[in-house]
Amino acid sequence: MTSHWCDFQNTDVILNCGSNSVENHPVSALWLEKAHEQGAKWIVVDPRYTRTAEQADIWCPIRSGTDIAFYGGMYNYIIEHLIEPNLAKYQETGDMSEYNFEYLLNYTNASYLLDPEYEFDPATGLFSGWDKETKTYSNHSWHYQTESEENWDTTPTGDYAWVSGEGVPEFTTPTLQHPKRDMTLQDPMCVYQQFKKHYSRYTIDTVCSICGMDPETLELVYSTYASTAKPGKAGTVLYALGQTQHTYGAQNTRAMCIMQLLLGNIGVPGGGVNALRGEPNVQGATDMGMMVNEHPAYLKWSNTTDRSSLRKWLESQTYSDGYYTNKPKFIVSSLKEWFGDAATKENDYGYDWWPKVPSKTGDIDYTHISTFELMQQGVIKGYFNWGMNPCHSAPNAGNVRRSMANLDWLVVADQVITESASFWKAPDMNPEEIDTTVYYLPCALIYEKPGIILNSGRWIQYRQQAVEPWDQAKPDYEMCDLIWTAIVDLYKKEGGANPDPILNTKWDYYVDGKIDPRPVAWALNGYRVAGTECNTNSANPKTDLLKGYSELGADGSTACAMWIYSGMWNNNDAPLDAAEQPLCRRDTNDASGIGLNSNWAFSWPSNRRILYNRNSCDMQGKPWNADKKLMEWNGEKWDLVDQADFVAAKNGKPVPPNNKTFFMLWEQNARLESYGMVDGPLPEHFEPFESPTDTNPLNGAFQNPCAFGTNYESTKQGSAVDYPIIGTTYSVTEHWQTGGQTRLCPALVEAMPAQFVEMSEELAAEKGIENGDEVRVFNNRGSVVVPAVVTKRLHPMTINGEVKHQVGLTHHFGWADLFGTGDVVNDLTPNVGDPNSFTPEYKAFLVNIEKA
Amino acid sequence: MAEKAILFDSSKCTACKGCQVACKCWNDLPSPAAGEAKWSGTHQNPIDLNGNTRLIITFNETEAPAAYSTKPIGWAFGRRSCQHCDDAPCATVCPGGAITKDEETGFVTVDDAKCIGCQYCKSACPFDVPRYYNDGTLGKSIINKCTGCIDRIEAGMAPACVSTCQPDALKFGDRDEMLKIAYEKVEWLHDHGYPDACVAGDDENYKTHVIHVLKYGYEAHGQLENPSVPATVAMTQVMKPITAAASGLTVVGLGAMFALAAGYSRRRLVYNPDTQDTLDYDTSEVVQHGDPQDSESVVEHITENLPFGKGGAKHE
Repeated sequence: MTSHWCDFQNTDVILNCGSNSVENHPVSALWLEKAHEQGAKWIVVDPRYTRTAEQADIWCPIRSGTDIAFYGGMYNYIIEHLIEPNLAKYQETGDMSEYNFEYLLNYTNASYLLDPEYEFDPATGLFSGWDKETKTYSNHSWHYQTESEENWDTTPTGDYAWVSGEGVPEFTTPTLQHPKRDMTLQDPMCVYQQFKKHYSRYTIDTVCSICGMDPETLELVYSTYASTAKPGKAGTVLYALGQTQHTYGAQNTRAMCIMQLLLGNIGVPGGGVNALRGEPNVQGATDMGMMVNEHPAYLKWSNTTDRSSLRKWLESQTYSDGYYTNKPKFIVSSLKEWFGDAATKENDYGYDWWPKVPSKTGDIDYTHISTFELMQQGVIKGYFNWGMNPCHSAPNAGNVRRSMANLDWLVVADQVITESASFWKAPDMNPEEIDTTVYYLPCALIYEKPGIILNSGRWIQYRQQAVEPWDQAKPDYEMCDLIWTAIVDLYKKEGGANPDPILNTKWDYYVDGKIDPRPVAWALNGYRVAGTECNTNSANPKTDLLKGYSELGADGSTACAMWIYSGMWNNNDAPLDAAEQPLCRRDTNDASGIGLNSNWAFSWPSNRRILYNRNSCDMQGKPWNADKKLMEWNGEKWDLVDQADFVAAKNGKPVPPNNKTFFMLWEQNARLESYGMVDGPLPEHFEPFESPTDTNPLNGAFQNPCAFGTNYESTKQGSAVDYPIIGTTYSVTEHWQTGGQTRLCPALVEAMPAQFVEMSEELAAEKGIENGDEVRVFNNRGSVVVPAVVTKRLHPMTINGEVKHQVGLTHHFGWADLFGTGDVVNDLTPNVGDPNSFTPEYKAFLVNIEKA
Repeated sequence: MAEKAILFDSSKCTACKGCQVACKCWNDLPSPAAGEAKWSGTHQNPIDLNGNTRLIITFNETEAPAAYSTKPIGWAFGRRSCQHCDDAPCATVCPGGAITKDEETGFVTVDDAKCIGCQYCKSACPFDVPRYYNDGTLGKSIINKCTGCIDRIEAGMAPACVSTCQPDALKFGDRDEMLKIAYEKVEWLHDHGYPDACVAGDDENYKTHVIHVLKYGYEAHGQLENPSVPATVAMTQVMKPITAAASGLTVVGLGAMFALAAGYSRRRLVYNPDTQDTLDYDTSEVVQHGDPQDSESVVEHITENLPFGKGGAKHE
């Protein structure tokens, strides 16, 4: 989230799109209900009338997988109704009674001129830069035209003097290219004009035809949400997996960002783009970079192309301006944590000991979806399956368990015997034919170990251990320690392949000789190397913890595994006492009056509660909404209510207001158009991998030309002829994901004893199905039997002139466990995904149904 | 301590069932064994209260009001549990003293050690709340219903269901204050396009200690507009002084009638001293003229025909 849970109360309009938040994130309800009672309007855009829709004022049903058409129509509505009719008047008189032009012009890249080669062709659905052979884009033409250039001043008195410091690895510093701008927004190559042209195709009728919506309802949604375009008003968008699990899921997220930027809703109280993360694992997993190409703290991992050496990493990743000019400090400090004393300037701080992700076109691919293909091919022979249950949760789960049968060995670390830990016992598997050796490592439950946890609002907190682990179960870090030290011992005794990365890795998180999460917290927070020893004794710990990430160096003097967490654990007076650290703060006094709760826990980065918060004020530093103030320029300095997400002072001197409001980007203005995505600079509507229709009224590409994984034989794409019904999956509040925890709680199984498929009364009548009947739902990949819920809460939809049906399945049960057993619904979902994030397309696919 | 109440605001309830599960956890109520939980065919599970379930959230599909034309239905969530009646008929009829009203809070509590399994409370309850579990003694059913978590309240905490409620749809506090919040919310709902919104639990003839804000009106949320004590319960009240004068035990009359009833498929009977009729407790049908009371104790009468024999499995 760019915001935090308590901030929902400050909003004027709530938009749940791709999120059934009150059901799947119950705590959201408290703050949403507060806003609602105070007069906020509440919109739910969802294929089903959910428990969230019941709370809302407006329900707008949408065909699964058509969100970009919906958002594109919103942009077009904002342009036609708010920007175009008022722009000239604003430029004459400064009138912003209908629309916040100051935000659009100064805080976004609307005025930036794009490369003259930039183009989008609706006939092909392709942007400029397309390579037919590799089916990839070059983003060259998606960049800006340059007005002037500026180089870093690395002289002893310059802003970047640190680059010349002793110990800093050598690299060519970036050149800041000031973009050309047209503040009148009339230049045909300015972002605004290109944007306007792009979305002029997204008319109400076209959007309704694609999304299966009613024009009147859609206009009501647009006008209600666009009312937040007025300065001082805020709208919040809540999303979850309903947006991200598509072959264009990352573009869906971009689409929400753009909507919020057009409406001036980013960085203001009650605004934001708010990803709701259910289990802290999800926020933690993204923070910690638990993906093949990601390094912890939103840095990129090393690869075989543009990041094949430390110098290349520094040159490709360091921004020319804004806060990411500091990236060399983050990566060198990370390497110092990784390799300790062995990391020196001479050996590039051990950078080459890191494995490099193959990144040339056509290289072997280790993403989640492809992992199972590599098992099929015999490339991956052993697999650590830690805290996840892909035989249940991965798309095309049948394919996953058949792939696992090719493994020599499998290690599963989990609290219970999951489907993955017992894949050979699946009803469709024959144990006699499977030779995989499976090791099961029982792990401690969250309450059985101490540790750090964080929520969607980026609040980091510490949980003490409540009870001892059950039986032989161990905390994950203890298992890691046992495995790691055994491997290192074997290497020392017997040698082995690639010894350097193994033997040089720093692994010293011990208190009184026992593995302990507290020195790990020091590593995450960061410390001065000279004054800190992670391997410590409790009587006399030696630490020189950093106050925050501003103290990081690129010269090897500091170590920090996770720069964004810096500041959460920085009390050198009691370095082993969690209660004395910022993350354990428990002061409920809220001085802000708008629920920032700045003295409760620690919010990364730097205890900032609302990201991009400089955007809450105008160009003079006055808040758009005086009642909801995050900061204000008082003529001499900034009065800060929240921690500044901009340069408020430099070398001790206050910096007066300017337009650099997004300082995590080198432009320091937000991107309506962005060159950062692999599949296009603007979100464009494409059909899902399996689409119920044969036309895409908006472009000739039909589907995302860059969609990931579509060539695997195992995906077995189905057509609407055989499988005319749109399928989607979702969770119920009573269960959690693959059910490892919740299916063992009889009270939760009692509260929701079955999986089900929800369908409209019309479809049920057509198929002769009554409520409660067992129904077979099937496609090329699998077949599951679940009971039917026949309901008015789903409607048939008219898509491009034809009536289509949509069904939804819950997906929590499996063959493992005693309680809550049933078929694995992910046998149906396709193993294709988004080309930016590799997230699978669980939310829109094709099925057929029949009475079982 | 002032009179207390639980406030349920159906317009803020998200039907997550956290209260349902918290109730089970705090009160140590078991759930069905593996494979035995039956799905109801809807989101409402279990479908009704039972001997191990004191609270469920109900799901009812009703019509959406005119102001909400985009909505296909109004999904009325209800809280089905003991209403903690101010003048609780279940306590009035309870012959063993198992159900009593806590005078301080107004909550109707249960001492299941005193329950003799007569199930009079079930018929006395206007809301059909009491359910029974088998205490392990063959054939003996013991009352199970919400106690208001009186144990928690006495320890300064809110009831378990209230403590767990995420959207603040459940509140606990002084009854006056809960009513004030309820009426304000109903006014808000009227102003926001819910013309049938109403407060339940504050009928001038029938006060309860669970107050409901009902977004779609009484019926949609499974509540009664005018709850009243069944006529038969009123008769037992009339009878009380008479039986008390005769035997010194208010409950003897009931027990005696049960004895008579044992021969009639365990029908439960009451006596109306005005007409001198004995009536079927559940149907109000006259089964005999005259008062069939005798001098044996209630427990003796009730248990004499049960399989485990006269005197029953006494907790005392």
